[in-house]
Amino acid sequence: VISGPALLLGALGVGVLAVYVLRRFEALAALVAAGLALVLGVALWRIPLDRLAVVGSRPVTMGQPLAWNEMTLQITPASRAVLVFLLGMSAAAFILAWRGYQGRTFYPFGLAMVALWSVSAMLLPLALAPLGIALAAALAVFVIQAGRPGEVHGAWRQLLFPTLAVPLFLIAAWSIEQGPLNPDDQTPYRVAGWLLVVGFVLLLQPAPLHVAVPAVARQAPPVVAVFLWLGGQATVIFLLQRFLVAYPWLGESLDSASWLLWLGVLTILIGGMLAATQERLGGLVGYAGLYDYGVLLVALGLRSTAGLPTAVWLLLTRTVALLTIAEGAALIRHHMESDRFHQLEGAAGRLPWAVAALVIGGFGLAGMPLTAQFASRWSLLQLLAENDLRWSLLMLAGAGGVLIGVIRAARATFGPLEGSPVEREPALTSILVMGLIAVSIALGMAPQLLTGPVAAVILPLSTFGP
Amino acid sequence: LTFGDLFRQLSLLAALPAALAAGFLAAVIVVVRDWRAVLLAYGLFSALISLLLAQVIPTEWALLQAITGGLVAVMLFLSARQLRVGPAPGADRALPAGLRRAIAWPRLASLPAFRLMALAVTVVVYLSVQDAITLPIVSPLFNDLILWLGLIGFLGLALHEEPLHAGLSLMVVIASAELLVFSLTQQRMVVGLAMAGQLILGLDISYLALSHGLALPPLREEDG
Repeated sequence: VISGPALLLGALGVGVLAVYVLRRFEALAALVAAGLALVLGVALWRIPLDRLAVVGSRPVTMGQPLAWNEMTLQITPASRAVLVFLLGMSAAAFILAWRGYQGRTFYPFGLAMVALWSVSAMLLPLALAPLGIALAAALAVFVIQAGRPGEVHGAWRQLLFPTLAVPLFLIAAWSIEQGPLNPDDQTPYRVAGWLLVVGFVLLLQPAPLHVAVPAVARQAPPVVAVFLWLGGQATVIFLLQRFLVAYPWLGESLDSASWLLWLGVLTILIGGMLAATQERLGGLVGYAGLYDYGVLLVALGLRSTAGLPTAVWLLLTRTVALLTIAEGAALIRHHMESDRFHQLEGAAGRLPWAVAALVIGGFGLAGMPLTAQFASRWSLLQLLAENDLRWSLLMLAGAGGVLIGVIRAARATFGPLEGSPVEREPALTSILVMGLIAVSIALGMAPQLLTGPVAAVILPLSTFGP
Repeated sequence: LTFGDLFRQLSLLAALPAALAAGFLAAVIVVVRDWRAVLLAYGLFSALISLLLAQVIPTEWALLQAITGGLVAVMLFLSARQLRVGPAPGADRALPAGLRRAIAWPRLASLPAFRLMALAVTVVVYLSVQDAITLPIVSPLFNDLILWLGLIGFLGLALHEEPLHAGLSLMVVIASAELLVFSLTQQRMVVGLAMAGQLILGLDISYLALSHGLALPPLREEDG
């Protein structure tokens, strides 16, 4: 009987090789990568974990663990939710990347990164799980740089912090093992707790360690950058949740809620303020994404009964908003051959759907009405106000900054076209962008569409073991 | 007497000189600009760390560090060789030797005097905190070496934005973490993953060094 992890990683491994071979035929590579991710995601979601299923005439039990030396990989109900999210998000990103001209190496490397994030989500012992995130960051270097000589800040910063975090988790694991040897002494747990906090801050990279986000946004193709943030951040947040469930003393002794809340608020402020002052689309997407990430951290920091569902809800809606703004920015950057505001004049006339995606995605990140993020943000604002009204006001101030940045970018695209003629958006690209905008508005008007998926994820996340 | 036994006994006998030499070579990696000297220092540094690791993990596992370090040094050498001439080989010939050297790869963000001063400050910091920090289980010699390598590695990360030097500084920090982690826990899987991770990191550093070096900014007028 084949185990779920073996099937998933085996399929992704074969997919990486196939897509690497096919990378010169970009459309085919994108479709194969997206198709594989989608099929695996649907299979994971539909096939019960505890029952025998038949896949290609071979029996498979998705929940069966795969053990190798001291490591075990297992798909639990909680990890299944993250895996489905990673696969679904990557399928969308591959299709958008193809129409957004993001570079052909993205598809094989993207699939490999999904495999590594998946390993991180399934791996026991927990102390080794950050290694998957660090290895994914090491692969990310190649898609961020994408063969271009020049600045390497984004790739380097993306690599640095996860690499530094890994030893902290290994030392923390040793320290936790020492705890039961002398039950009266709480020092090992205290030391482990602080090591884990520092390790998670390095992995989460909130402000003031956010330096990788704007650097990647400026340097990497927009859809690739958003893919890296969505996948990496979701995996790290899930890992944090696994640690908090596995080691309940961690949340109690170190007041993890409090530091997440404060770091989230700081991230919101920095992201919002700097989004308002950007002069390039890359920087705007980066800081607007940073603001949105701060909002997610604040939701996690609430840790109340409503905090976790709101965080999951935000995670889903931010995916739509980030992919929308990234696709808009990618198309404008490609067609206008620049992403500097002062060189975008006339883009609205030639690339109306790309500009619409930029605006709708940006408004979504600011949490404006009629966008996917509105309902989740509104609910978070209310939750925050119950704790402290000032936090809600700070969140609104950050949203104001993002809004100003998006309006400045949109204004820059109006006016007559100057310089060389600009090719119009291809029809298929316009249809994809229209689809993204439609999903964003539909979720804004009917947020209850996400109630089912959110509810299905909450129980395993909050109650099941690591 | 097997090779493993010999290596382990050598590790015990030469622990102090090896630790001192590793500490010195780490400083060379961070301070010296010349890429050949830096790569040679890194190769030797890896061999010495491997020798020291043989005290806490089986020799076969410890030797992996020397092999990994050697492979990383070779990867970096191959990248560096493509960049050693500088950004504009033809144009450079006309420049005075001192200036030609100044614009050649790798271009560091700080002057040698500044790096030496930063090193001196790091030595002072090390001497002031050395007695206050005691790591569990670890021998006093390892304790001091881990602390020194950690400090000097972070100094390198703070000083350099050029990928070769910054990357090797990160490798020094990782070596420091390895000495600590492998002293605390001896798991084959962790050793293997750490070495594989270093190889991938070496590949990343080589790639970034090439990407950065191939696009060095042109010489400004006032420089000439």
